[in-house]
Amino acid sequence: MHGFLICALALMAALSLAQTSGGSNPARVVAEFEQRAKQYLDWRETTVGKAPYPTNSPGKIVAARQELANKVRVSRAGAKQGEVFTPEIANYFRREITATFNGRYGKRIRSSLKNSEPSEIHLEINQSYPEKVALQSTPPTLLLNLPELPKGLEYRIVGRELVLRDSDANIIVDYIQNALPETK
Amino acid sequence: MTVQRTPLWLAVCAFAICTALAHTQSKVDVRLPQKDKSVRFAVIGDSGTGERDQYQVAKEMEAYRKAANFNFVIMLGDNIYGGHEPRDFARKFEIPYAPLLDAGVKFYASLGNHDDPKLEPLYKPFNMNGERYYTFKKDFVQFFALDSDYMDAPQLSWLEQTLRSSRAQWKICFFHHPLYNEGKMHGPDLDLRNQLLPLLKTYGVNVVFSGHEHAYERLKPVDNIYYFVQGDSGKLERHDFHHSNELAASFDRARTFLLVEVAGDTLYFQTISESGETVDSGALPRAAAAVKAAPSAQ
Repeated sequence: MHGFLICALALMAALSLAQTSGGSNPARVVAEFEQRAKQYLDWRETTVGKAPYPTNSPGKIVAARQELANKVRVSRAGAKQGEVFTPEIANYFRREITATFNGRYGKRIRSSLKNSEPSEIHLEINQSYPEKVALQSTPPTLLLNLPELPKGLEYRIVGRELVLRDSDANIIVDYIQNALPETK
Repeated sequence: MTVQRTPLWLAVCAFAICTALAHTQSKVDVRLPQKDKSVRFAVIGDSGTGERDQYQVAKEMEAYRKAANFNFVIMLGDNIYGGHEPRDFARKFEIPYAPLLDAGVKFYASLGNHDDPKLEPLYKPFNMNGERYYTFKKDFVQFFALDSDYMDAPQLSWLEQTLRSSRAQWKICFFHHPLYNEGKMHGPDLDLRNQLLPLLKTYGVNVVFSGHEHAYERLKPVDNIYYFVQGDSGKLERHDFHHSNELAASFDRARTFLLVEVAGDTLYFQTISESGETVDSGALPRAAAAVKAAPSAQ
């Protein structure tokens, strides 16, 4: 009897895990995402270049970043949406974000987003984030629930989309459409 | 400080603004005690508009620098609004603060939502050493400049480690988004507060300066931490504040900057408007139990 109960509980737990993870193994999906993010950054740093060093001259900083961005655009000309955020990874992110929004701190996160001067821009892979548009601040609790990124890459929210941004080159590497749940 | 390749038209515009402001200087009335071995600095937030009002505040700052002898400024974010071309750095920072920079005053910037989180840390006059968040010490006061736009796990862990290892008598944090804020435009950042407050309380932070809300606010201490909101050194929103018992002082009729002096166990402050009027001032003991701040100007 005990054996049967243990088996039944284990089966229920497995089914529940499969339901919450949409049938895929979350650890594997996260590992795959982290590998793809690292691959992009390694490629960019070795093939294209790194961020410049601090200087007194804003002209030099701006020129260095523009050069970096142009090289990324040329070298990655055929890049398409979904190369880093594959459909499986994107679904994982959507589930995690929805769970965070529906969780204990969801109300605070929504309030923080509302107060952070949200902006709407047209997203295109390999394009620069518009210089004159403020970057929307990203709620810390949301960041803490997403896989950590290597220095040089960051998440940004634009409307309901989650953007993966190359912060050194100011390039939109990839994005997930409707990553954030609809506003209540 | 050399302004690099400033176009002629820009220099002419700046000269015109400075000339127009030349006759508007008010009487300097320093209320800081200017004690020996004290740490003195100025605070500006949401400053980088490049417009006339920013220049007027900068002009008052220079007048007060001569009298109060502060040698550094902390910036609470939105240091450069709009574009980030070299001309923007000139018009929104280098030219208005040229007299201060020429006098050797150092600026320590934190990032706001209108700032470029990659370009500005690389700009040496902001003293960020290429980092979004960093710390520096001035005698017995340690400062922690944070990036509240992107408070991720590495930053939180760095903050905890740095605060824990700090032996400074005073710990002062500055960042853009206010944890407490009675202004009606933005309000407090509740999620940020949720993540930051436990660290600030645990490791004995004494004072927090923030911007974002385009007005001046001094809040009553919460858990022995003093909170100032100062997001009006360039931008100004003449909006109402919430009628709240949390506000110790507030002002939204003109742009301001803050003068601060930390001497022993006391922090003295003076909030000065663009016309040179002192709108708030007082002395705060390090343990926030007994606040002896002067009455609010509001």
